Amino acid sequence: MAELQADFAVTAAADAAAPARRLWRRLEPTALGAGGIVGLLLVWQFLPDLVPMKAGTKLFFTVPSDIAGTLWRMFATGSIWAPLGVSAGAFAIGLGLAILAGLPLGILLGRSNVLNAMFDPFITAFNATPRLVFLPLLLLWFGLGLWSKVAIVFLGALFPLLINTYEGVRNADKLLINVVRSFGAGEWDIARLVVVPNALPFIIVGLRLAIGRAVLGVVVAEFFGAQDGLGVVMVRAASEFKVDVVFAGLIVFAVLSLVMTGLVKLIEDRMSRWRPQQVSGD
Amino acid sequence: MTEQTVIQPRLMGRYRNVVLGALAVVLFFAAWQAIFLVVPFNPLFISKPSLIAAGFVDLVASGELFDDLAVSAVPFFLGLGAAVVVGVPLGIVMGWRVRIGYALDPLMTIFYASPLVALAPLLVIFFGVGLPGKTIIVFSLAVFPFIFNACAGVRAVDRRLIDVVRSLGGGEWDLYRKVLLPSVLPFVVAGARIAIGRALIGVLVGEFFAASEGIGFAISRFGDLFAIDKMFACILTVMVIAVVLTEGIRFAERSAFPWRRGQ
Repeated sequence: MAELQADFAVTAAADAAAPARRLWRRLEPTALGAGGIVGLLLVWQFLPDLVPMKAGTKLFFTVPSDIAGTLWRMFATGSIWAPLGVSAGAFAIGLGLAILAGLPLGILLGRSNVLNAMFDPFITAFNATPRLVFLPLLLLWFGLGLWSKVAIVFLGALFPLLINTYEGVRNADKLLINVVRSFGAGEWDIARLVVVPNALPFIIVGLRLAIGRAVLGVVVAEFFGAQDGLGVVMVRAASEFKVDVVFAGLIVFAVLSLVMTGLVKLIEDRMSRWRPQQVSGD
Repeated sequence: MTEQTVIQPRLMGRYRNVVLGALAVVLFFAAWQAIFLVVPFNPLFISKPSLIAAGFVDLVASGELFDDLAVSAVPFFLGLGAAVVVGVPLGIVMGWRVRIGYALDPLMTIFYASPLVALAPLLVIFFGVGLPGKTIIVFSLAVFPFIFNACAGVRAVDRRLIDVVRSLGGGEWDLYRKVLLPSVLPFVVAGARIAIGRALIGVLVGEFFAASEGIGFAISRFGDLFAIDKMFACILTVMVIAVVLTEGIRFAERSAFPWRRGQ
Protein backbone atom coordinates (compact mmCIF):
# COMPACT_ATOMS: atom_id res chain seq x y z
CA MET A 1 0.00 0.00 0.00
CA ALA A 2 2.78 2.36 0.95
CA GLU A 3 4.56 1.45 -2.26
CA LEU A 4 1.50 2.19 -4.30
CA GLN A 5 1.08 5.60 -2.72
CA ALA A 6 4.72 6.44 -3.27
CA ASP A 7 4.25 5.42 -6.88
CA PHE A 8 1.32 7.78 -7.26
CA ALA A 9 3.27 10.60 -5.67
CA VAL A 10 6.13 10.16 -8.10
CA THR A 11 3.92 9.90 -11.15
CA ALA A 12 1.96 12.96 -10.12
CA ALA A 13 5.15 14.95 -9.86
CA ALA A 14 6.47 13.80 -13.23
CA ASP A 15 5.64 15.47 -16.50
CA ALA A 16 2.80 14.47 -18.77
CA ALA A 17 4.72 12.02 -20.97
CA ALA A 18 6.28 10.09 -18.11
CA PRO A 19 3.21 8.30 -16.72
CA ALA A 20 2.52 6.56 -20.01
CA ARG A 21 6.10 5.42 -20.24
CA ARG A 22 6.07 4.26 -16.64
CA LEU A 23 2.87 2.38 -17.20
CA TRP A 24 4.34 0.68 -20.27
CA ARG A 25 7.44 -0.24 -18.31
CA ARG A 26 5.32 -2.00 -15.78
CA LEU A 27 3.06 -3.69 -18.31
CA GLU A 28 5.79 -4.55 -20.80
CA PRO A 29 6.68 -8.02 -19.46
CA THR A 30 3.03 -9.06 -19.28
CA ALA A 31 2.18 -7.56 -22.64
CA LEU A 32 5.13 -9.11 -24.43
CA GLY A 33 4.54 -12.44 -22.70
CA ALA A 34 0.91 -12.50 -23.73
CA GLY A 35 1.99 -11.36 -27.18
CA GLY A 36 4.36 -14.32 -27.46
CA ILE A 37 1.62 -16.79 -26.60
CA VAL A 38 -0.98 -15.16 -28.84
CA GLY A 39 1.57 -14.92 -31.64
CA LEU A 40 2.35 -18.61 -31.49
CA LEU A 41 -1.35 -19.51 -31.43
CA LEU A 42 -2.02 -17.26 -34.46
CA VAL A 43 0.86 -18.72 -36.48
CA TRP A 44 -0.31 -22.21 -35.58
CA GLN A 45 -3.91 -21.40 -36.47
CA PHE A 46 -3.09 -19.98 -39.90
CA LEU A 47 -0.21 -22.31 -40.74
CA PRO A 48 -2.39 -24.54 -42.96
CA ASP A 49 -3.40 -21.47 -45.00
CA LEU A 50 0.17 -20.23 -45.34
CA VAL A 51 2.05 -23.44 -46.02
CA PRO A 52 0.80 -25.97 -48.54
CA MET A 53 0.54 -29.35 -46.85
CA LYS A 54 0.20 -32.82 -48.22
CA ALA A 55 -2.97 -34.71 -47.39
CA GLY A 56 -0.96 -37.14 -45.27
CA THR A 57 0.47 -34.35 -43.16
CA LYS A 58 -2.96 -32.73 -42.80
CA LEU A 59 -4.17 -35.93 -41.16
CA PHE A 60 -1.77 -35.28 -38.28
CA PHE A 61 -2.35 -31.59 -38.12
CA THR A 62 -4.73 -29.68 -35.96
CA VAL A 63 -5.27 -26.02 -35.24
CA PRO A 64 -5.92 -24.29 -31.90
CA SER A 65 -9.55 -23.56 -32.76
CA ASP A 66 -10.22 -27.28 -33.29
CA ILE A 67 -8.51 -28.11 -30.01
CA ALA A 68 -10.56 -25.49 -28.18
CA GLY A 69 -13.73 -26.86 -29.79
CA THR A 70 -12.86 -30.41 -28.76
CA LEU A 71 -12.05 -29.29 -25.24
CA TRP A 72 -15.36 -27.45 -25.06
CA ARG A 73 -17.27 -30.50 -26.31
CA MET A 74 -15.51 -32.78 -23.82
CA PHE A 75 -16.65 -30.60 -20.95
CA ALA A 76 -20.09 -29.80 -22.40
CA THR A 77 -21.03 -33.45 -22.96
CA GLY A 78 -19.31 -34.40 -19.71
CA SER A 79 -17.34 -37.13 -21.49
CA ILE A 80 -14.15 -35.96 -19.85
CA TRP A 81 -15.24 -36.47 -16.24
CA ALA A 82 -15.09 -40.27 -16.06
CA PRO A 83 -11.52 -40.67 -17.41
CA LEU A 84 -10.36 -37.56 -15.60
CA GLY A 85 -11.76 -38.95 -12.35
CA VAL A 86 -9.86 -42.20 -12.84
CA SER A 87 -6.62 -40.31 -13.46
CA ALA A 88 -7.21 -37.94 -10.56
CA GLY A 89 -7.86 -40.88 -8.22
CA ALA A 90 -4.53 -42.52 -9.03
CA PHE A 91 -2.82 -39.15 -8.73
CA ALA A 92 -4.34 -38.36 -5.32
CA ILE A 93 -3.74 -41.78 -3.77
CA GLY A 94 -0.15 -41.97 -5.05
CA LEU A 95 0.71 -38.45 -3.93
CA GLY A 96 -0.97 -38.98 -0.54
CA LEU A 97 1.00 -42.17 0.07
CA ALA A 98 4.20 -40.41 -0.99
CA ILE A 99 3.55 -37.64 1.53
CA LEU A 100 2.75 -40.15 4.28
CA ALA A 101 5.96 -42.07 3.60
CA GLY A 102 8.29 -39.28 2.50
CA LEU A 103 7.90 -36.81 5.35
CA PRO A 104 8.55 -39.16 8.30
CA LEU A 105 11.40 -40.84 6.44
CA GLY A 106 12.91 -37.49 5.51
CA ILE A 107 12.75 -36.32 9.12
CA LEU A 108 14.24 -39.57 10.35
CA LEU A 109 17.14 -39.45 7.88
CA GLY A 110 17.72 -35.78 8.65
CA ARG A 111 18.02 -36.51 12.36
CA SER A 112 20.13 -39.67 12.19
CA ASN A 113 23.56 -39.65 10.61
CA VAL A 114 23.86 -43.42 10.60
CA LEU A 115 20.51 -44.04 8.90
CA ASN A 116 21.27 -41.27 6.44
CA ALA A 117 24.59 -42.83 5.47
CA MET A 118 22.92 -46.21 5.05
CA PHE A 119 20.00 -44.98 2.94
CA ASP A 120 22.06 -42.58 0.86
CA PRO A 121 23.14 -45.03 -1.89
CA PHE A 122 19.54 -46.17 -2.42
CA ILE A 123 18.14 -42.66 -2.52
CA THR A 124 20.86 -41.52 -4.92
CA ALA A 125 20.23 -44.50 -7.18
CA PHE A 126 16.44 -44.17 -7.23
CA ASN A 127 16.55 -40.42 -7.61
CA ALA A 128 18.92 -40.56 -10.58
CA THR A 129 16.91 -43.25 -12.34
CA PRO A 130 13.75 -42.32 -14.19
CA ARG A 131 11.10 -44.23 -12.25
CA LEU A 132 9.52 -45.07 -15.55
CA VAL A 133 12.01 -47.90 -15.89
CA PHE A 134 10.11 -49.79 -13.17
CA LEU A 135 6.80 -49.54 -14.98
CA PRO A 136 6.94 -52.97 -16.69
CA LEU A 137 7.83 -54.53 -13.34
CA LEU A 138 5.04 -52.69 -11.53
CA LEU A 139 2.59 -53.76 -14.23
CA LEU A 140 3.62 -57.33 -13.57
CA TRP A 141 3.19 -56.94 -9.82
CA PHE A 142 0.06 -54.85 -9.62
CA GLY A 143 -1.57 -55.62 -12.94
CA LEU A 144 -3.27 -53.20 -15.28
CA GLY A 145 -5.33 -50.59 -13.52
CA LEU A 146 -5.35 -48.40 -10.47
CA TRP A 147 -2.58 -49.85 -8.32
CA SER A 148 0.22 -49.95 -10.87
CA LYS A 149 -0.57 -46.29 -11.58
CA VAL A 150 -0.58 -45.48 -7.88
CA ALA A 151 2.77 -47.24 -7.50
CA ILE A 152 4.45 -45.26 -10.28
CA VAL A 153 2.99 -41.98 -8.99
CA PHE A 154 4.18 -42.88 -5.51
CA LEU A 155 7.72 -43.65 -6.69
CA GLY A 156 7.85 -40.45 -8.71
CA ALA A 157 6.57 -38.18 -5.95
CA LEU A 158 8.36 -39.83 -3.02
CA PHE A 159 11.92 -38.68 -3.69
CA PRO A 160 11.41 -34.93 -4.14
CA LEU A 161 9.40 -34.95 -0.89
CA LEU A 162 11.91 -37.12 0.96
CA ILE A 163 14.98 -35.22 -0.21
CA ASN A 164 13.54 -31.77 0.44
CA THR A 165 12.28 -32.77 3.88
CA TYR A 166 15.74 -34.10 4.64
CA GLU A 167 17.37 -30.87 3.46
CA GLY A 168 14.95 -28.84 5.57
CA VAL A 169 15.65 -30.90 8.67
CA ARG A 170 19.39 -30.60 8.08
CA ASN A 171 18.98 -26.86 7.79
CA ALA A 172 17.45 -26.53 11.27
CA ASP A 173 19.27 -24.18 13.59
CA LYS A 174 21.52 -26.25 15.88
CA LEU A 175 21.30 -23.52 18.52
CA LEU A 176 17.52 -23.81 18.74
CA ILE A 177 17.75 -27.58 18.98
CA ASN A 178 20.27 -27.28 21.81
CA VAL A 179 18.09 -24.77 23.65
CA VAL A 180 15.04 -26.99 23.45
CA ARG A 181 17.09 -30.00 24.43
CA SER A 182 18.62 -28.29 27.45
CA PHE A 183 15.09 -27.52 28.62
CA GLY A 184 14.53 -31.24 28.73
CA ALA A 185 12.89 -31.90 25.38
CA GLY A 186 13.12 -35.36 23.85
CA GLU A 187 13.59 -36.20 20.16
CA TRP A 188 9.82 -35.98 19.59
CA ASP A 189 9.60 -32.48 21.06
CA ILE A 190 12.61 -31.35 19.04
CA ALA A 191 10.92 -32.57 15.87
CA ARG A 192 7.62 -30.93 16.77
CA LEU A 193 8.96 -27.60 18.04
CA VAL A 194 12.03 -26.89 15.92
CA VAL A 195 12.69 -29.28 13.09
CA VAL A 196 9.32 -29.56 11.37
CA PRO A 197 8.42 -25.86 11.46
CA ASN A 198 11.86 -25.06 10.11
CA ALA A 199 11.60 -27.66 7.36
CA LEU A 200 8.12 -26.63 6.21
CA PRO A 201 9.18 -24.27 3.41
CA PHE A 202 11.48 -26.97 2.07
CA ILE A 203 8.70 -29.54 2.28
CA ILE A 204 6.42 -27.22 0.33
CA VAL A 205 9.00 -26.87 -2.44
CA GLY A 206 9.31 -30.64 -2.45
CA LEU A 207 5.54 -30.89 -2.75
CA ARG A 208 5.61 -28.59 -5.76
CA LEU A 209 8.17 -30.77 -7.49
CA ALA A 210 6.30 -33.90 -6.45
CA ILE A 211 3.08 -32.70 -8.07
CA GLY A 212 4.84 -32.32 -11.40
CA ARG A 213 6.35 -35.79 -11.11
CA ALA A 214 3.03 -37.28 -10.05
CA VAL A 215 1.21 -35.87 -13.08
CA LEU A 216 3.96 -37.22 -15.28
CA GLY A 217 3.58 -40.59 -13.59
CA VAL A 218 -0.15 -40.73 -14.21
CA VAL A 219 0.24 -39.83 -17.88
CA VAL A 220 2.97 -42.34 -18.58
CA ALA A 221 1.40 -45.15 -16.57
CA GLU A 222 -1.86 -44.71 -18.45
CA PHE A 223 -0.07 -44.78 -21.78
CA PHE A 224 1.30 -48.23 -21.17
CA GLY A 225 -0.67 -50.02 -18.54
CA ALA A 226 -4.25 -48.97 -18.05
CA GLN A 227 -7.68 -49.51 -19.42
CA ASP A 228 -9.20 -46.19 -18.49
CA GLY A 229 -8.12 -42.70 -17.59
CA LEU A 230 -7.34 -39.55 -19.52
CA GLY A 231 -4.00 -40.94 -20.72
CA VAL A 232 -5.79 -43.92 -22.24
CA VAL A 233 -8.19 -41.58 -24.01
CA MET A 234 -5.18 -39.75 -25.44
CA VAL A 235 -3.38 -42.87 -26.68
CA ARG A 236 -6.55 -44.15 -28.36
CA ALA A 237 -7.11 -40.76 -29.95
CA ALA A 238 -3.53 -40.72 -31.23
CA SER A 239 -3.92 -44.10 -32.86
CA GLU A 240 -7.15 -42.92 -34.50
CA PHE A 241 -5.45 -39.71 -35.71
CA LYS A 242 -7.71 -37.54 -33.54
CA VAL A 243 -4.87 -35.14 -32.91
CA ASP A 244 -7.12 -32.48 -31.39
CA VAL A 245 -8.14 -34.88 -28.61
CA VAL A 246 -4.48 -35.57 -27.78
CA PHE A 247 -3.80 -31.86 -27.46
CA ALA A 248 -6.98 -31.33 -25.45
CA GLY A 249 -5.82 -34.01 -23.02
CA LEU A 250 -2.37 -32.44 -22.80
CA ILE A 251 -3.96 -29.09 -22.00
CA VAL A 252 -6.13 -30.61 -19.26
CA PHE A 253 -3.09 -32.30 -17.68
CA ALA A 254 -1.02 -29.13 -17.99
CA VAL A 255 -3.72 -26.92 -16.47
CA LEU A 256 -4.22 -29.35 -13.59
CA SER A 257 -0.51 -29.41 -12.92
CA LEU A 258 -0.21 -25.62 -13.14
CA VAL A 259 -3.23 -25.00 -10.90
CA MET A 260 -1.99 -27.37 -8.24
CA THR A 261 1.57 -26.08 -8.23
CA GLY A 262 0.11 -22.55 -8.18
CA LEU A 263 -1.95 -23.39 -5.10
CA VAL A 264 1.10 -24.82 -3.38
CA LYS A 265 3.04 -21.70 -4.33
CA LEU A 266 0.33 -19.60 -2.69
CA ILE A 267 0.64 -21.59 0.52
CA GLU A 268 4.40 -21.28 0.29
CA ASP A 269 4.28 -17.50 -0.10
CA ARG A 270 1.87 -17.22 2.81
CA MET A 271 3.98 -19.33 5.08
CA SER A 272 7.38 -17.94 4.23
CA ARG A 273 6.34 -14.30 4.20
CA TRP A 274 8.29 -13.67 7.35
CA ARG A 275 11.47 -15.44 6.40
CA PRO A 276 14.26 -14.43 4.02
CA GLN A 277 14.43 -16.35 0.77
CA GLN A 278 16.72 -19.31 1.30
CA VAL A 279 14.80 -22.30 0.07
CA SER A 280 16.46 -24.34 -2.62
CA GLY A 281 14.72 -26.38 -5.24
CA ASP A 282 16.14 -28.34 -8.08
CA MET B 1 50.26 -38.39 20.36
CA THR B 2 47.50 -35.86 20.59
CA GLU B 3 47.58 -35.34 16.84
CA GLN B 4 46.87 -38.97 16.19
CA THR B 5 43.90 -39.02 18.49
CA VAL B 6 42.49 -36.06 16.61
CA ILE B 7 43.19 -37.39 13.15
CA GLN B 8 41.88 -40.84 13.72
CA PRO B 9 38.24 -39.98 14.44
CA ARG B 10 38.34 -37.54 11.56
CA LEU B 11 39.49 -40.24 9.14
CA MET B 12 36.85 -42.51 10.56
CA GLY B 13 34.34 -39.74 10.00
CA ARG B 14 35.36 -39.34 6.41
CA TYR B 15 35.07 -42.99 5.52
CA ARG B 16 32.27 -43.83 7.94
CA ASN B 17 29.52 -42.73 5.58
CA VAL B 18 30.98 -44.64 2.64
CA VAL B 19 31.45 -47.74 4.75
CA LEU B 20 27.94 -47.51 6.16
CA GLY B 21 26.50 -47.00 2.68
CA ALA B 22 28.39 -49.95 1.21
CA LEU B 23 27.38 -52.05 4.20
CA ALA B 24 23.73 -51.15 3.68
CA VAL B 25 23.87 -52.11 -0.01
CA VAL B 26 25.53 -55.44 0.78
CA LEU B 27 23.01 -56.08 3.56
CA PHE B 28 20.15 -55.25 1.22
CA PHE B 29 21.21 -57.74 -1.43
CA ALA B 30 22.03 -60.36 1.20
CA ALA B 31 18.60 -59.96 2.79
CA TRP B 32 17.00 -60.15 -0.64
CA GLN B 33 18.84 -63.38 -1.36
CA ALA B 34 18.13 -64.81 2.09
CA ILE B 35 14.43 -64.05 2.20
CA PHE B 36 13.81 -66.74 -0.44
CA LEU B 37 14.94 -69.35 2.10
CA VAL B 38 12.09 -68.30 4.38
CA VAL B 39 9.31 -67.11 2.09
CA PRO B 40 8.57 -69.13 -1.05
CA PHE B 41 7.94 -66.27 -3.50
CA ASN B 42 6.54 -67.01 -6.89
CA PRO B 43 9.61 -66.98 -9.17
CA LEU B 44 7.40 -65.67 -11.98
CA PHE B 45 7.05 -62.35 -10.20
CA ILE B 46 10.23 -61.79 -8.28
CA SER B 47 13.80 -62.85 -8.74
CA LYS B 48 16.76 -63.07 -6.42
CA PRO B 49 20.22 -61.51 -6.76
CA SER B 50 21.98 -64.74 -7.72
CA LEU B 51 19.58 -65.37 -10.60
CA ILE B 52 19.73 -61.72 -11.66
CA ALA B 53 23.53 -61.91 -11.74
CA ALA B 54 23.31 -65.07 -13.87
CA GLY B 55 20.84 -63.34 -16.18
CA PHE B 56 23.15 -60.36 -16.44
CA VAL B 57 26.11 -62.58 -17.36
CA ASP B 58 23.88 -64.27 -19.93
CA LEU B 59 22.88 -60.97 -21.51
CA VAL B 60 26.45 -59.74 -21.60
CA ALA B 61 27.81 -63.00 -23.02
CA SER B 62 25.24 -63.09 -25.82
CA GLY B 63 25.90 -59.43 -26.58
CA GLU B 64 22.19 -58.62 -26.32
CA LEU B 65 22.69 -56.09 -23.55
CA PHE B 66 25.28 -54.05 -25.41
CA ASP B 67 23.31 -54.16 -28.64
CA ASP B 68 20.23 -52.82 -26.88
CA LEU B 69 22.24 -50.19 -25.02
CA ALA B 70 23.92 -49.08 -28.24
CA VAL B 71 20.53 -48.75 -29.95
CA SER B 72 19.20 -46.64 -27.08
CA ALA B 73 22.32 -44.52 -26.79
CA VAL B 74 22.03 -43.08 -30.29
CA PRO B 75 18.71 -41.20 -29.85
CA PHE B 76 19.74 -40.32 -26.30
CA PHE B 77 22.90 -38.52 -27.36
CA LEU B 78 21.49 -37.11 -30.59
CA GLY B 79 18.48 -35.65 -28.78
CA LEU B 80 20.58 -34.35 -25.92
CA GLY B 81 23.10 -32.84 -28.35
CA ALA B 82 20.35 -31.13 -30.31
CA ALA B 83 18.88 -29.86 -27.04
CA VAL B 84 22.22 -28.25 -26.13
CA VAL B 85 22.69 -26.76 -29.60
CA VAL B 86 19.19 -25.25 -29.63
CA GLY B 87 18.58 -24.65 -25.94
CA VAL B 88 21.77 -22.87 -24.89
CA PRO B 89 21.79 -20.16 -27.60
CA LEU B 90 18.06 -19.64 -27.18
CA GLY B 91 18.45 -19.33 -23.42
CA ILE B 92 21.36 -16.90 -23.77
CA VAL B 93 19.39 -14.71 -26.17
CA MET B 94 16.36 -14.83 -23.86
CA GLY B 95 18.48 -13.77 -20.91
CA TRP B 96 20.46 -11.11 -22.74
CA ARG B 97 17.81 -9.43 -24.91
CA VAL B 98 15.35 -8.49 -22.18
CA ARG B 99 12.37 -8.02 -24.50
CA ILE B 100 12.85 -11.39 -26.16
CA GLY B 101 12.98 -12.80 -22.65
CA TYR B 102 9.68 -11.12 -21.77
CA ALA B 103 8.08 -12.46 -24.93
CA LEU B 104 9.25 -16.06 -24.65
CA ASP B 105 9.42 -16.65 -20.90
CA PRO B 106 5.72 -17.42 -20.25
CA LEU B 107 5.53 -19.58 -23.35
CA MET B 108 8.55 -21.64 -22.35
CA THR B 109 7.31 -21.90 -18.76
CA ILE B 110 4.04 -23.36 -20.01
CA PHE B 111 5.91 -25.90 -22.14
CA TYR B 112 8.27 -26.77 -19.31
CA ALA B 113 5.49 -27.19 -16.76
CA SER B 114 3.19 -29.25 -18.94
CA PRO B 115 3.74 -32.99 -19.14
CA LEU B 116 5.12 -32.96 -22.68
CA VAL B 117 5.53 -36.72 -22.53
CA ALA B 118 1.82 -36.69 -23.26
CA LEU B 119 2.68 -35.82 -26.85
CA ALA B 120 4.79 -38.96 -27.18
CA PRO B 121 2.03 -41.09 -28.79
CA LEU B 122 1.58 -38.41 -31.41
CA LEU B 123 5.30 -38.06 -32.08
CA VAL B 124 5.68 -41.81 -32.34
CA ILE B 125 2.86 -42.05 -34.86
CA PHE B 126 4.12 -39.09 -36.81
CA PHE B 127 7.85 -39.82 -36.84
CA GLY B 128 7.78 -43.57 -36.38
CA VAL B 129 9.07 -45.82 -33.64
CA GLY B 130 12.66 -45.71 -34.85
CA LEU B 131 15.47 -43.26 -34.41
CA PRO B 132 13.72 -40.03 -35.54
CA GLY B 133 10.72 -40.48 -33.24
CA LYS B 134 12.84 -41.28 -30.20
CA THR B 135 15.30 -38.48 -30.90
CA ILE B 136 12.52 -35.92 -31.17
CA ILE B 137 10.91 -37.09 -27.91
CA VAL B 138 14.28 -36.85 -26.16
CA PHE B 139 14.93 -33.42 -27.64
CA SER B 140 11.54 -32.00 -26.70
CA LEU B 141 11.96 -33.13 -23.09
CA ALA B 142 15.61 -32.20 -22.67
CA VAL B 143 15.70 -28.79 -24.33
CA PHE B 144 13.89 -26.84 -21.60
CA PRO B 145 16.37 -27.29 -18.73
CA PHE B 146 19.07 -25.93 -21.06
CA ILE B 147 16.96 -22.94 -22.07
CA PHE B 148 16.07 -21.99 -18.52
CA ASN B 149 19.51 -22.57 -17.06
CA ALA B 150 21.31 -20.67 -19.82
CA CYS B 151 18.83 -17.84 -19.33
CA ALA B 152 19.40 -17.81 -15.56
CA GLY B 153 23.15 -17.90 -16.21
CA VAL B 154 23.04 -14.77 -18.36
CA ARG B 155 20.96 -12.96 -15.78
CA ALA B 156 23.57 -13.77 -13.13
CA VAL B 157 26.48 -12.34 -15.18
CA ASP B 158 28.57 -9.75 -13.42
CA ARG B 159 27.62 -6.37 -14.95
CA ARG B 160 31.17 -5.10 -14.47
CA LEU B 161 32.54 -7.70 -16.89
CA ILE B 162 30.14 -6.46 -19.53
CA ASP B 163 31.10 -2.85 -18.87
CA VAL B 164 34.79 -3.69 -19.12
CA VAL B 165 34.42 -5.44 -22.48
CA ARG B 166 32.30 -2.58 -23.76
CA SER B 167 34.68 0.14 -22.62
CA LEU B 168 37.57 -1.70 -24.25
CA GLY B 169 35.68 -1.50 -27.50
CA GLY B 170 34.06 -4.95 -27.59
CA GLY B 171 30.96 -5.37 -29.69
CA GLU B 172 27.87 -7.53 -29.22
CA TRP B 173 29.63 -10.59 -30.60
CA ASP B 174 32.61 -10.16 -28.25
CA LEU B 175 30.18 -10.01 -25.33
CA TYR B 176 28.55 -13.27 -26.34
CA ARG B 177 31.86 -15.01 -26.89
CA LYS B 178 34.00 -13.62 -24.07
CA VAL B 179 31.54 -12.96 -21.25
CA LEU B 180 28.16 -14.57 -21.70
CA LEU B 181 29.08 -18.03 -22.92
CA PRO B 182 31.83 -18.69 -20.32
CA SER B 183 29.74 -17.46 -17.41
CA VAL B 184 26.76 -19.45 -18.59
CA LEU B 185 28.70 -22.71 -18.74
CA PRO B 186 28.32 -23.76 -15.08
CA PHE B 187 24.59 -23.19 -15.33
CA VAL B 188 24.41 -25.24 -18.49
CA VAL B 189 26.21 -28.11 -16.82
CA ALA B 190 23.76 -27.94 -13.91
CA GLY B 191 20.94 -27.97 -16.44
CA ALA B 192 22.45 -31.01 -18.11
CA ARG B 193 21.96 -32.93 -14.87
CA ILE B 194 18.22 -32.35 -15.07
CA ALA B 195 18.14 -32.81 -18.82
CA ILE B 196 19.80 -36.23 -18.61
CA GLY B 197 17.01 -37.53 -16.41
CA ARG B 198 14.39 -36.20 -18.79
CA ALA B 199 16.26 -37.57 -21.80
CA LEU B 200 16.29 -41.03 -20.22
CA ILE B 201 12.53 -40.76 -19.73
CA GLY B 202 12.24 -39.82 -23.40
CA VAL B 203 14.20 -42.86 -24.57
CA LEU B 204 12.23 -45.20 -22.32
CA VAL B 205 8.85 -43.81 -23.36
CA GLY B 206 9.80 -44.05 -27.01
CA GLU B 207 10.91 -47.64 -26.59
CA PHE B 208 8.06 -48.79 -24.38
CA PHE B 209 5.67 -47.65 -27.05
CA ALA B 210 6.37 -49.73 -30.03
CA ALA B 211 10.07 -50.07 -30.62
CA SER B 212 11.60 -53.38 -31.63
CA GLU B 213 15.01 -52.83 -30.03
CA GLY B 214 16.67 -50.81 -27.33
CA ILE B 215 17.00 -51.18 -23.57
CA GLY B 216 13.46 -49.96 -22.86
CA PHE B 217 12.07 -52.48 -25.29
CA ALA B 218 14.20 -55.19 -23.68
CA ILE B 219 12.78 -54.40 -20.25
CA SER B 220 9.16 -54.52 -21.37
CA ARG B 221 9.73 -57.63 -23.51
CA PHE B 222 11.38 -59.54 -20.66
CA GLY B 223 8.41 -58.45 -18.55
CA ASP B 224 5.99 -59.85 -21.10
CA LEU B 225 7.99 -63.09 -21.23
CA PHE B 226 8.09 -63.32 -17.41
CA ALA B 227 11.89 -63.47 -17.70
CA ILE B 228 12.13 -61.63 -14.41
CA ASP B 229 15.83 -62.19 -13.82
CA LYS B 230 16.82 -60.66 -17.15
CA MET B 231 14.32 -57.86 -16.65
CA PHE B 232 15.86 -57.01 -13.28
CA ALA B 233 19.32 -57.19 -14.84
CA CYS B 234 18.30 -54.61 -17.46
CA ILE B 235 16.60 -52.38 -14.89
CA LEU B 236 19.67 -52.44 -12.64
CA THR B 237 21.87 -51.66 -15.65
CA VAL B 238 19.75 -48.60 -16.44
CA MET B 239 19.96 -47.54 -12.78
CA VAL B 240 23.75 -47.83 -12.78
CA ILE B 241 24.01 -45.86 -16.03
CA ALA B 242 21.70 -43.14 -14.67
CA VAL B 243 23.74 -42.86 -11.47
CA VAL B 244 27.05 -42.78 -13.36
CA LEU B 245 25.79 -40.06 -15.71
CA THR B 246 24.30 -37.78 -13.04
CA GLU B 247 27.09 -38.30 -10.52
CA GLY B 248 29.63 -37.86 -13.31
CA ILE B 249 28.16 -34.46 -14.11
CA ARG B 250 28.13 -33.57 -10.42
CA PHE B 251 31.80 -34.50 -10.28
CA ALA B 252 32.54 -32.48 -13.42
CA GLU B 253 30.75 -29.52 -11.84
CA ARG B 254 32.80 -29.77 -8.68
CA SER B 255 36.14 -30.08 -10.43
CA ALA B 256 35.55 -27.65 -13.31
CA PHE B 257 33.72 -24.92 -11.39
CA PRO B 258 34.93 -25.29 -7.79
CA TRP B 259 33.81 -21.75 -6.96
CA ARG B 260 30.21 -22.79 -7.43
CA ARG B 261 30.29 -25.55 -4.84
CA GLY B 262 27.08 -25.93 -2.93
CA GLN B 263 24.72 -24.69 -5.64
